[in-house]
Parts: sequence; C-alpha cells; structure tokens
Amino acid sequence: MSRALRWALAALCAVAYLAPLLWLLAASFRENAGIFASGLGGVFAAQGWTLSNYGAAIRRAGLAHAIFVSLAQVAVIGGGGLLVNSLAAFAFARLEFRGRDLAFSAVVALIILPVEVLAIPLFFTARDLGLAGSGGQALLALSLPFVAKAFNIYYLRQQFLSLPSELEEAALLDGAGVCRQFWSIALPAIRPALATVVLLDLLTHWSDFLWPLLMSTRASTHTVQVALAALFTAPPVDWGAILACAVLSTLPVLAVFGFFQRYVVLSDARVGIR
Amino acid sequence: MSGWRRRQSRHVGWLFLLPALVLLSLFVVWPLLRAFWWSLNATDLLALPRQHWLGGAQYSAVLRDERFRQAFANTALFALLVVPVQTALACFLALWVTRPEREWRWLRAVFVLPTMVAMPALAVVWTALYQPSESGQSGPINALLTAFGMAPHAWLREPQLALPALALMSVWQGVGLQLMVFVSALQALPRELLEAARLDGANGWQRTWFVTLPALRNTIVFLLSVTTILAFRLFVQPYLMTRGGPMDSTLSLIQLIYDTTFVAQDLGLASAGAFLFLLTVLLLTLVQRWALREERT
Repeated sequence: MSRALRWALAALCAVAYLAPLLWLLAASFRENAGIFASGLGGVFAAQGWTLSNYGAAIRRAGLAHAIFVSLAQVAVIGGGGLLVNSLAAFAFARLEFRGRDLAFSAVVALIILPVEVLAIPLFFTARDLGLAGSGGQALLALSLPFVAKAFNIYYLRQQFLSLPSELEEAALLDGAGVCRQFWSIALPAIRPALATVVLLDLLTHWSDFLWPLLMSTRASTHTVQVALAALFTAPPVDWGAILACAVLSTLPVLAVFGFFQRYVVLSDARVGIR
Repeated sequence: MSGWRRRQSRHVGWLFLLPALVLLSLFVVWPLLRAFWWSLNATDLLALPRQHWLGGAQYSAVLRDERFRQAFANTALFALLVVPVQTALACFLALWVTRPEREWRWLRAVFVLPTMVAMPALAVVWTALYQPSESGQSGPINALLTAFGMAPHAWLREPQLALPALALMSVWQGVGLQLMVFVSALQALPRELLEAARLDGANGWQRTWFVTLPALRNTIVFLLSVTTILAFRLFVQPYLMTRGGPMDSTLSLIQLIYDTTFVAQDLGLASAGAFLFLLTVLLLTLVQRWALREERT
C-alpha cells in the first residue's frame, strides 16, 4: 500500500469513527432548529452558527461551579490517593513486619468489589459520618471514600518490587531512614507509574455518576456529570445547551490528559480496565 | 545492617499501612458488612433500626422476583451483545494498526478518544443521535437512514431495539481501551516467533491465525472476563437514555437495585440483590482465574 493511500484510509476511518463527536461539536454551535435538521447533510448543512448554547449551558447548569467541584473531587482523590496508596504499597513491598502477607491478601481481595455494590451502604456510612451536607462536607463525601484504592496499592507494590534493591541498600549505607528511603528514593523512581495511577483516577472519577447522584443532591454540590444529567432531565429540553454542556464537561479532562500523556506508561494500559 | 533495618521496619510497617487500612475499613469493609447484614434482615429505608431476621428469605425473594429476573436477563443479554463484538473488533483493529508507521499510531489515538469522554456525556450525545423522526426534525442516525431510503426507527422507544442501541454505543465507546491492551500485547510478542513462521513458509493470514492469535490467548481471556464484568455493571446508559424502558426492556440490575432502595424503599431486598450481583462478578472472576491457569500448566 502506498503512503498516500494509507493516509487516506486512516483519515477515512478516523472521520467515520469520530462522527458522533464531530456531530456533537457541530451541533453545539447550532440553533435548536438546525440541530435535528433532516436530510443527508443534517447539522453540517444547517444555517448559521451561534455561541448562545454555551452561555445557556453555563447559566442553566451552573457548569462553572460544577467543574470546580469535580476538579476539587479528583484533586483530593488523586493527591490523597497518591500518598495513602504509595505508603501502603511501599510497606507491602519493602518493609518486613508481622501480619504483612495476611494484610496484603485482605487488600487484594477488595479489588474486585464494584463501586455499584458499595454505593448504597456507603451512602448511609457517609451520612453517619456527617458528610451529607454542602460545601466541604460534600466534597469529602465525594472524594474520601475513593482515596484508598486496593487496586492502586496492588499496582504500586508491583512497581516498588521491580525496583533494584541496591537502590535502597545504597541509601541505607548513607544512613537514610525508612521515611527518606520512601520519599526521596523509592517514590521518585516510580514516577511514571504514579502518573499513570493519577491519570486513571482522574478519568474514572471525572465520569463518576452513581455516587455523586446519591451524594450531591443540591445544586451547590453538583459535579459536572450530575449537572449535565440535571440539565438533560429537567424540562424544557434545550438540546443546544445540553450538547454545549457535554462539550464543556469533556474539555478539562482532555486538557489534563494531553498535558500529562507523555508521562504515562501506555504499556500499562490494562491498568485502566479494572 | 539488615538487622537494624528489620527492627526499624517492624514499627514503621503498620504505620505506613495505617491511613490506607483506616480508609478501606471505613469506606469499603464496613459498608460491605452492613449491606450483608441488611440482606439477611427485613430493612426499611426510612426506619433503619427496625429490622427483623429473615435469613436467606430475601435472597430467594430476589430469585423469584419477575423484575429481578427480567433485569438479570437484560444485563446478561447486554453483556452477550457487547463483549464478543467489542473484543473481536478491538483485536481486529489492533492487528491492523499495530505497525510502526505514523498514520497508524495516529489512528490508534482516534479509537481511544471516546474512552476519555465520560459515559454520562456520551449517553446524552447518543440520545440525540438516536432521536426519532418527528415533525420534520430527525436525529442524525435516522436522517442518514432516510437519506439512503431506509425506514427510520425510534431506536430508544422500541422494546426490540433499545437494548441493542445501548450496546452499539457502548461498544463504540469501549473498544479503545481494549485496543490499547491488545496493542501492547502485540508489541511485547517475541519477533523470532513470527520470523520462524515466515521462514517455514506461512503467509500473512496463517501467521496471524496460527501464531499471533494463540500467543494472545491470555490477553483475550483477560479482556473477555473483565469486559463481561464491566458490562454487568451497566447503569449510566439505561438510566439516562431509556430510564430502563420501554417496558423494562433495558432495566439493568444496578438500576433495579437502586430503584428498590430509593423508590420501593426496601433496603433489605436491594441488598440481597446487590450481593447476588456481587456473586455473579465473583463467579466471572473465578472463571477468568481458571482459564488463565490452564495456560500456565
């Protein structure tokens, strides 16, 4: 196959595969009458472009605030999770203490628990802990349950185990304590794995739906997805605003992902499916 | 030296574990035990302290319940529609685009893009794509069909079509992640293997069928089981796109558990349903373990 032909084929497949997203983008800039224009050209052949959908999306869905809530949620999960899970992973990989293997088996057993099974009892636990409220409480309710993650502990432990032990032996000879070993030697050495974990946490929890649906019941605590769903289900249906909202809700993830992508080990893609 | 290290570690080990163990106990183990208790006791959503012991009665109630059976059948059918198609498609695409040239690497990124868009946003978008043709207006899928002389459908409102419609959008969204797993497995394949087959006179298709695919066996088993579990967790698509309808044809297990809790307010029955769901996931995991072990021996 010639080079030009390969490019043409790849471009054709790309356009066909991304058609739903291209349609979304085009429709979000159309008046409501043009969005569902019939005929072969559909939305692409309709008349006139407009920005008003975006204004309506931000106003009606309270999207700016929702994006802030979601960003805060994933920041707490990502940052807190990084510390909590890597501490535990390091203990399982590098420290020796009684009951370690038993504790590790117990943690591994938690990996397969789907969040859907936990969501409803977790709702009552969060309420008992006084986390069902507004502002800071709601933020904690949205993020705290997902900071410690069995899978991330398991994955990071493997990363620590794959480090050459000479690395830490050398540090020991230099008189470094366990904390220095962890913080200054082991942690920096697995930076790509840490980036992978944080990024996948971001992707997972940015699209969280069931749990925020239970917890963020008032508009002031809506996450991006809940705000979008609320706009989608509340009459009157304003498709322009809804689709603009869908575009805006995706941009922060794409921005962060584009920025961090080169730090991620894509060979660990199977980590993403858990 | 190592003695010093061990003595130090004994104190520090549990200290390092402490934050994770506290959080996991509080937010995973405790809710799980609590739900298990509810599943054995009649529990009203609004009167938690008033419980009475039923043992396994709620489990058998769930198994006899028509709607739970329907929801299980729907969810299983959804998995049956999604899993083979998505895995085969991802495998096929991976074999095609795992080449060094720039254009294929670029195409891989295209397939991964929908996996980065959140499911609720995509559910909203595909609801628009599936819009029926009414009063001169038409969703783009129906507009295309009509333009090519085919009959339009109200995709999400016809009991026969709604679940397959959800499956189609789910395959489109999910194929990218599987593709990446296949690509990395293909790239890890020892080159000598394919080279030896080439020297033995095997052509391209034979090399793919007799060398590459058998070497991907474990990857395929892994992806089949994990995608089945993901498919069983179906919730967002029916919740936003069809509300479980029409006529319960897209009612998923998770949606029914959710409805049983907050609409019927029967926490006990919902918890029994949740544990039966968990049992299904466990079984699928065991099947995966078993199939992967076969290969190793």
